[in-house]
Amino acid sequence: MVFSPAAEDKQLLSSLFTKYEQHYRSGLTNLPAENKKSYEEIYQLRWDHIKEVFDKQELYTAPEAQQYLDAMVEEIVKTNPLLQNRAFHCYFSRSGIPNASYIGEGLILFNMGLFRQLEDESQAAFVICHEIAHYFLQHSENSISKYVTTINSKAVQQELRKIKSSEYGKRAQLENLVKGITFNSRRHSRDHEAQADSMAVEFMHNTRFDITGVVTALNLLDNIDTDTLNTAVCLERLFNAKAYPFQKRWIAKQEGLLGGHAQLQDDDKLEDSLKTHPDCKLRVQLLTPLVTRYKAAGKSAFVVNKAKFEILKTNFQYEIAEYAYSSDNYTRSLYYSIALLQEHPDDAWLITQVGRILNSCYTAQKAHMLGRQVELPSPGFFPGYNLLLQFIQNLYLEDFAAISYHYLHQYSPQLNYYPEFKKEYITSSHLIKQ
Amino acid sequence: MIKHLLTVGLFLFASSLHAQSKLSIDNVYAAYLQNSGTIMENNQIKGYFFLYQSDKIDRRTNEYTLQIVDENLNKVKDIKFQDSKKLSLLEAAYNGNSLCFLFKNEDNKTLDMKVYGIDGKLKYTYSREYTKKTDDLMKRYETMHTDEGTNQNVFDLGEQGYASVLPLRDGKTRSYEVDYYSSTSKKYWTYIPSDDDERYANAEFLGSTDSLVILEVMKRNRMMSGKITAHLVGIDIANKKKIFDLDGEDDTYTLVPSNVIPIKGTGRILVMGSYFDKNDNVVKDFSKGLAIYEIDSKGNVLSKTYNSWGKDFAKYLPTGNKGKLDKVGFLYIHKLIRTNDGKIFAVGEGYKRQVSAGGIALTMLSAAAGSYGTTSTTKIVTTDMVVMEFDDKYKVTDATIYDKTNNTADLLLSDYQSQHAIALLLKATGGFDYEFTTSDADNNTFSICYGDWVRSSDYRGQTFNTLRYNGKKFTKDKIELKSKASKMQVLPAKAGSVMILEYFKKDKKLESRLEKIG
Repeated sequence: MVFSPAAEDKQLLSSLFTKYEQHYRSGLTNLPAENKKSYEEIYQLRWDHIKEVFDKQELYTAPEAQQYLDAMVEEIVKTNPLLQNRAFHCYFSRSGIPNASYIGEGLILFNMGLFRQLEDESQAAFVICHEIAHYFLQHSENSISKYVTTINSKAVQQELRKIKSSEYGKRAQLENLVKGITFNSRRHSRDHEAQADSMAVEFMHNTRFDITGVVTALNLLDNIDTDTLNTAVCLERLFNAKAYPFQKRWIAKQEGLLGGHAQLQDDDKLEDSLKTHPDCKLRVQLLTPLVTRYKAAGKSAFVVNKAKFEILKTNFQYEIAEYAYSSDNYTRSLYYSIALLQEHPDDAWLITQVGRILNSCYTAQKAHMLGRQVELPSPGFFPGYNLLLQFIQNLYLEDFAAISYHYLHQYSPQLNYYPEFKKEYITSSHLIKQ
Repeated sequence: MIKHLLTVGLFLFASSLHAQSKLSIDNVYAAYLQNSGTIMENNQIKGYFFLYQSDKIDRRTNEYTLQIVDENLNKVKDIKFQDSKKLSLLEAAYNGNSLCFLFKNEDNKTLDMKVYGIDGKLKYTYSREYTKKTDDLMKRYETMHTDEGTNQNVFDLGEQGYASVLPLRDGKTRSYEVDYYSSTSKKYWTYIPSDDDERYANAEFLGSTDSLVILEVMKRNRMMSGKITAHLVGIDIANKKKIFDLDGEDDTYTLVPSNVIPIKGTGRILVMGSYFDKNDNVVKDFSKGLAIYEIDSKGNVLSKTYNSWGKDFAKYLPTGNKGKLDKVGFLYIHKLIRTNDGKIFAVGEGYKRQVSAGGIALTMLSAAAGSYGTTSTTKIVTTDMVVMEFDDKYKVTDATIYDKTNNTADLLLSDYQSQHAIALLLKATGGFDYEFTTSDADNNTFSICYGDWVRSSDYRGQTFNTLRYNGKKFTKDKIELKSKASKMQVLPAKAGSVMILEYFKKDKKLESRLEKIG
């Protein structure tokens, strides 16, 4: 069966948005009177982020997936009396970034990009417990409070006044002040992570999930950023049609400024002291004694629904490619699609998606808008993804059309039954003639 | 994806450090963008620089932050330094192992060339005083329009370093000097032409080889009763000796060189320029056509190929007599490109004098009022783009006119200035519509970029146009420069792309993105 992206439940999204907005607004009335404007400003920023999540339709509203996630959360809540009657809710985010986060107003996001890489429900349970712990321990609110108190403190205000009245050396003075505040705030943040880890173990310990999921999840997170796709080989294999053979020029790397080493020389010591998340290995080390103590028979890697877990994992691989495309990031979508094609080379949706992205690149370039829809090579990306970005940069307008057409053409007899394929194939045949 | 450029270090904290009624970072500190430009190597865009005034150190000193971003707009380095508060950055260049920046220091009245290593550390500083003689150049910087980005007078000489060619003026005497700045050791020399006593010499940097800086020098020759003669001058990078000075004295025709390109791996140099009959005035008369010479590093002419307007170009272009292209006017060659397969492309732009209705009216009004001013009754318009193709024997094989509007150049001209002087003035003041050419490393593909003003039923306004050569054919593309932004500007970028800068006044936001062209 060909994958079909879940339709967004706009009504549900709209009602959820209204609900959270009301929650945000009523929260503002309970802010401390002292420094209220500062508080309001920070909470406004937090709300802006939540609003953006809704604006970008990041929440996944497919009922089956939500029911599954609700069941996972329910398993945690029902065994932890501390969590009962608490107003938080967990949603899948359609983002491909391997992450989960508590974003405020009781909203927890579990990114598909992380879920799809997990091995079992116990790992997913740890991720959820960790984010619930942030919510339960009010880390976000405490950080805001600490920050507002610090910036409005007599000492900092005096220092700011002094800097403002200085005619010379403002930047250096301000940098020193900011460095101190940031250092404290990041250290605080790392402490929060360690607290959330410990609390998550406590929550999980009460559930039926296997507690060793804590350690395996953290080990998995430690390697989650490893780039395994051989992009050069994949691109050559995919786009080497007889009538339009692969050209080495397409993946030739341009040597950038200063030999392509586009990165700032970081102050390693400072970098380390400013890290917000402790190292995963360190986290494992800290949690292992507790996990060992809590190990018990009768716990399981799967508690809710193993079959559903696997189906969602598979679906999410496709959903992140679809979401990247619909949120105007063609290069991410292409990368996810190509990676998935290595496992499912004959998949109709993936083949169509590759053609759709190339066709869209053609149209966007023609309208001089492609720059808004593709990422540029950057030292912050994996080498494999950077190569794909370079590939897009190296293609001429006519290459997009020709590659798309010849790529789709080879599947045209067998995939003509699939209307989406037919549509992209016809589009590419028009583009190549332009 | 879009990048926001105006984010200097501390701005990152600005959003998270607020306190409404009390002080916040925003109202305590701001950094100011002083200027920005491109960093080029071997005619290719390698990145951009942004100079911010990041702090005041004392009454006379400021702290500056030089932010360098690469061709993909990734931040590469922040270089902080302290210098006079009367400092401005004029030009930048990159040669693969170092970056150089030419600053004007009004306190010391010096032009300071600073060479930085790839680690961002200052390697060498070279200073020279500027005097009244360089006033013309300083004025040119103030009104500079970029042709190939920012660089007008500083050029990379490969791994060896950089050269600058500065025009000098002392009363009625016009001369020039060439400065060489080594990037591998502290070595600097200045070349001032001393072997002639002419009172007029104007030099243009045409290019360089491993051992030579090559210039086109136009000078008044007393031996030839004050006639302007064109010279191709080669100066040794190692010892500033003039290796050759070709004036074509013994040739059938006179060559006015305008472009050179070294032929990779041969030690030979290709020289292109307009050629004239021996007795013609190269400043005023019409050229006979375009000539391509091949010379060696000693200045020996190995071959000469002439393509005349009357015969050779007439096969492809509507040329009239006297070498004037019908409709196009005179042709200025902006760029010479030699592709890997031996083809040569010359990018030209037409310009001509037209009767100015406004000028005539003003002249009549002035005359009626009893005054006889210098108001010009003619105006200069830049016309079409012309791309010419030559084979490996240097004979023209094709030429195409790409239509554009006859745009009026904003020049203060008299009615009697020569075509050569007009072209130089157009180039110096940014009067031409040609913007820049970007190419890949081996020149197999390139894009010629130029501006235009369009008046059509669909669109009325400024456009940015490209002619992209993909190794086989040219494709035309056009970007309409009207958007939701308060201001939109197109800057040079890596091969096949341009950088679009959009300023949104209401949001005080400057966005930049790279757009592929063609």
